[in-house]
Amino acid sequence: MTITDLTSMGESQTELKKEINERLQRLQDEISDYCYQCAKCTSGCEAHKLLELEPHKIVALLKKGLIDEMVNSDVIWTCMSCFKCRERCPQNVAPVEVLFALKNIAVASGQQIPGNYTAMLQSVLSMGLLQEVKNVLTRDNKTVSRTNLGLPEVSKPTDHTKFQMMLSKIAVEKV
Amino acid sequence: MKKYAVYPGCVMPTEQYAYEMSIREIMPHLDIELVDLKGFSCCSEPIKSVNQMLTLALSARNIAIAEKEELDIFAPCPMCHLALSDCKRVLDTNLMMNKRVNSYLTDEGLKYTGTAEIVSILDLLHDIVGIDKIKEKVKKPLKDLKTATHYGCHLIRPSEIGRSDDAENPQKMENILKTIGAKPEYYPEKLDCCGALLTANLPESALTKTGQKLQRVQEQEFDAFIDTCPWCHRQYDSKQIKAGETVAAKLEVPVLYLTQLLGISMGIPKEKLGLNLNLSPIEKLNLGGKKT
Repeated sequence: MTITDLTSMGESQTELKKEINERLQRLQDEISDYCYQCAKCTSGCEAHKLLELEPHKIVALLKKGLIDEMVNSDVIWTCMSCFKCRERCPQNVAPVEVLFALKNIAVASGQQIPGNYTAMLQSVLSMGLLQEVKNVLTRDNKTVSRTNLGLPEVSKPTDHTKFQMMLSKIAVEKV
Repeated sequence: MKKYAVYPGCVMPTEQYAYEMSIREIMPHLDIELVDLKGFSCCSEPIKSVNQMLTLALSARNIAIAEKEELDIFAPCPMCHLALSDCKRVLDTNLMMNKRVNSYLTDEGLKYTGTAEIVSILDLLHDIVGIDKIKEKVKKPLKDLKTATHYGCHLIRPSEIGRSDDAENPQKMENILKTIGAKPEYYPEKLDCCGALLTANLPESALTKTGQKLQRVQEQEFDAFIDTCPWCHRQYDSKQIKAGETVAAKLEVPVLYLTQLLGISMGIPKEKLGLNLNLSPIEKLNLGGKKT
């Protein structure tokens, strides 16, 4: 079980392309027509000022079919998923969900996964959790563990083979 | 006594121990029994950008583990609570997706049935335990502590799937804080995001978001900043000095989990609430009468 299996490559490129195209078509059909570019989403976007994300433009580009451009752009990875755009849209368009879909498509079509996402995914695959159990510092600079603090053992998948079997099924079927 | 399976998620049980300690400490006093179950995994919400199906499947898996024991679920982390609630909504309304996701769970002998209720920290404290009961338990009211609340985006949005408080004007933390003697006040940046989810790929920008909000909180002279999310708390408390550097400010804002402050007001000794794990300058607060 590797990250590659869970993200791309695992199956034939034509099948993959077909599924991605169908998904994009659905997105385009279902969502973008309702958007009338009022930009309320962008006015409240947490990533707008700092990282120049403009959710209303994402929806406009989707409507125009400029999907490859977005999938290949870093800008889709600036969303903080605060869900304000989805909350406030007067037309029930959810730019945040469009962005999730575009990022999934980027990953599924073999784009490099940015930053630490690979490590987090790998950790979930190997131990079921995002990261290892850590020792932490106290205010007076002592290192303490969960056990030192009297906390019980962390809950994680008990049968690893079966847990990974489940993940590999998702890898085969995909988005 | 009402019983819940506690679903710890990842960030709380692997590093944000103060949240877990204070929750485990206060809940029995409020007649809530927490049951620990084996086998939980990540809810996968933090890596939804990579594969949404994985998020749906892992969330369903975690719900199914509690359903097997016929327990409702308490998810202290707002991000986990969102993932599980969203999964429940999808699987309860979309039969095709329900079937597909359940097909992933069979190898582990699990089945999502939709019987478990999923509650957040605010559902539990404000709506299930209730303000009256909290009031009964207060032994050492906090004297006019001027507090800024931070709900965390995932606790209140998107309201379409049912969240724990109003998306634009949440008040439940305020109600709880007033009950224990604190003085919560409004500030314009109350709904601003901590930026934590950018830590994966744009860590500097994540810290800038954190720094910008804390700087405004400091300028408005709040005594303390109160949160309920292990991701947000890691930004505001654990990384406060670094966050300050990104906005060229020396930040000295005491940051506490709501559950820690609640514990203090209930007269629970501060070491049991993990107060020696907060890295922000909480000594300024003189909590519990003595210097922390």
